[in-house]
Amino acid sequence: MAVTVEQMAEEMYEMIKEAMGKKSFKATDLTKAMIAKYGEGEVSKDDCKHAIRILIDSGRCVYSYFGGSFITLPHKEGAANE
Amino acid sequence: MAAEPVKRITDIGPPHYEKFLHPMVKKNYGMWKYHESLAPGVLCHVAESGDKLFTVRAGSPRLLSTATIRMFADLAEKYCGGYLRFTSRNNVEFLLDNQANIEPLKKDLQAAGFPVGGTNNAISNIVHTQGWVHCHSSATDASGIVKCVMDALYDRFTHENLPAKLRIALACCLNMCGAVHCSDISILGVHRRPPQINKDLLPKVCEIPTLISSCPTGAIRSATYEGKPSVEVVEEQCMYCANCYTVCPAMPLNDPENDGISIWVGGKVSNARSAPKFSKLAIPFIPNEPPRWPGVVDAVVNIVEVYAKHAHKYERMGDWIERIGWPRFFELTGIPFTRYHIDDFRFAGTTFARSTHIRF
Amino acid sequence: MADETKKTPKLDELEKGPWPSFVKEIKQARKVNTMCDDLLGQLETSYEEKKGHWKHGGIVGVMGYGGGVIGRYSDMPEKFPKVAHFHTMRVNQPAGWFYTSKALRTLCDIWDRHGSGLTNMHGSTGDIVFLGTKTDELEPCFAELTKEGFDLGGSGSVMRTPSACVGQARCEWACYDTMKLCYDLTQTYQDELHRPAFPYKFKFKCAGCPNDCVASIARSDMSIIGTWKDSIQQDDAAVAEYAKKGMDIQKDVCDNCPTKCMSWDGKKLTIENHECVRCMHCINVMPKALRPGKERGATILIGAKAPIIQGAMLSSVLIPFVPAAELLDTIKELTSRIWDFWSEYGKNRERIGELIQRVGMANFLDAIGLDPVPEMVSAPRDNPYIYFKKEE
Repeated sequence: MAVTVEQMAEEMYEMIKEAMGKKSFKATDLTKAMIAKYGEGEVSKDDCKHAIRILIDSGRCVYSYFGGSFITLPHKEGAANE
Repeated sequence: MAAEPVKRITDIGPPHYEKFLHPMVKKNYGMWKYHESLAPGVLCHVAESGDKLFTVRAGSPRLLSTATIRMFADLAEKYCGGYLRFTSRNNVEFLLDNQANIEPLKKDLQAAGFPVGGTNNAISNIVHTQGWVHCHSSATDASGIVKCVMDALYDRFTHENLPAKLRIALACCLNMCGAVHCSDISILGVHRRPPQINKDLLPKVCEIPTLISSCPTGAIRSATYEGKPSVEVVEEQCMYCANCYTVCPAMPLNDPENDGISIWVGGKVSNARSAPKFSKLAIPFIPNEPPRWPGVVDAVVNIVEVYAKHAHKYERMGDWIERIGWPRFFELTGIPFTRYHIDDFRFAGTTFARSTHIRF
Repeated sequence: MADETKKTPKLDELEKGPWPSFVKEIKQARKVNTMCDDLLGQLETSYEEKKGHWKHGGIVGVMGYGGGVIGRYSDMPEKFPKVAHFHTMRVNQPAGWFYTSKALRTLCDIWDRHGSGLTNMHGSTGDIVFLGTKTDELEPCFAELTKEGFDLGGSGSVMRTPSACVGQARCEWACYDTMKLCYDLTQTYQDELHRPAFPYKFKFKCAGCPNDCVASIARSDMSIIGTWKDSIQQDDAAVAEYAKKGMDIQKDVCDNCPTKCMSWDGKKLTIENHECVRCMHCINVMPKALRPGKERGATILIGAKAPIIQGAMLSSVLIPFVPAAELLDTIKELTSRIWDFWSEYGKNRERIGELIQRVGMANFLDAIGLDPVPEMVSAPRDNPYIYFKKEE
């Protein structure tokens, strides 16, 4: 494998951080980006799923919902009341 | 991140249903022979083994306090070993192996204010959504309307005297959490004005490309507001679906004077006799009239009573209307036919009359 | 407890009348949690102003899951601080919605400790709905639920909680074990239920016969509807018994048959089974005399949804018949191909039915490796705009 799952998690994290506030990514977007970068034979959808799981389970990223589920950095949501 | 204190349990799924099955159900699982109706709300299922299981069904408001659920638990323990279930239409069902317990259970339920019925050719409970109790996108309330309609149709719940089943559903906006689009009568909350763009909030909470692409008619265009990217709405193209509001909270459509209720008829999901079908528009708009919703109640009761009087035995609402024709439906119910009844979205032509089969 | 004095004259109107009142339920729950005071207050405001006062939250949940909690905030938090947070937890229901009183009490005890004491039995998709709690209570509530063997249901772009009719537990018409299939699918796809990985929601509904008591054909992306292949089981003595008791077999049964495949000569009912479309009417009318055949299984249909975004759809036939014993394996294989295709090509918020509309059913069939069969259409196309393939 050209890249480890942990490395992919880092790259996904950078993608999300970079685009925060401009564009939100779905799990499928992150998966497609990794496969496009490393090639279909090199990384599998399951690897990408694993990488996303690492980001979520560590708390570095969270799922958010606005008319569809996205993966974002933890943030205080707009609607929340103190 | 703080360290997790204890090992979290996740991904276990629901408990296995077998833990909750009445012994007679377990014994005769997959070996039921036939069933009979003993009275409105009371069924008897007979197994190949000869065992008889009695079901007593009661209506509920769906929104239940834990106190009421405990009261159901008490009754289940008193009369049927603690075994009960809920139906897909939010009724509660008690499963009894002792026929002698039916009448006392019915008495206790009625004393507690929960009507027994909802089986066969009765009107069952109204499947519905959250409305003002808990929804952010509702164009109308849900529980309150259901309460008022069921108050008026109470006797139709406790008696099986309609030509066929009649299923009513309510959704408080077009998202249709209750998927009401295939019901004999659907009560559907609608908006009638385009979103009011909150231009100051919009750049903080919404992604503009996502927002623009959310509109099924392409009515949302990019624009600038005070030098910053924003959107505008081509109002003539808006059909008030509120999909934009779902992806962007800065596009609210709520409007107390223009929000309200539409009524749709003749849908079904069962394959019995005729194929499943969508409900069709009967009344495009009734204003929101809390707290007792007289306009909706009268409209629904009128449709039910006209159907009850004219439909043949076994005819669902939609079957009856197809037999007599839509012109006669509007004539019998006294509901005016308007320009709004003629579809103008995708596949609109499929509902145009493409023959000279006209009843005069 | 100053809030107890708040008047709710409009809501009080909804305590009148014979049908059980949700307002009474909310008032009852005040004894559990004073959140319900502010819920009543805000609802009374909605009843005065004719508009809702909730804001949608998109981020609260339990650790690691992307579904099962619906964030909800009051838009009048100063006036109704106790419902400033009022989130919903969706708890995965046991298949068929069967309970023991003990299980219900356990759920009630957990919810009284961590939430408003208000529920829906059940939500539209089938979950037990715990209505109203604060962010801080989510994780402790979840921990107690899982300890008692319960887990959360779905929300967002996930496989939503599958649901099933009562099936073989109490229905002689169930053509396969709906509750088992529902349970097996739920367990198989725990990851897809809790961690959003799809363009949008995906629903399974398991109906045991064509009466479709769970509305699967209208409400599920994959509808699994029981049916049978051989002849209706017929008990002639029981048919005669119905006739003797006054049923007009000709009028009530034969004349209502959609394919007119039945005849009655006053003594014997004859069914041309190869013309029967398994609509259930005759069986519904004479449950003691007629029953579904013995070669049982299900029809698998695809694509139902409510209007948002491209319009409402009913499911349409994908596989006309799968034997009951092969259902789980067939559905798992089929689902993995469908989800692969949908994940690749689906847009955000595009349901599978809408994707099929957009790319064409024939292309969809190619992609998932199914051959076209005439049972899939009500009629062949009536327009000549055919995309012929170059290689043919």
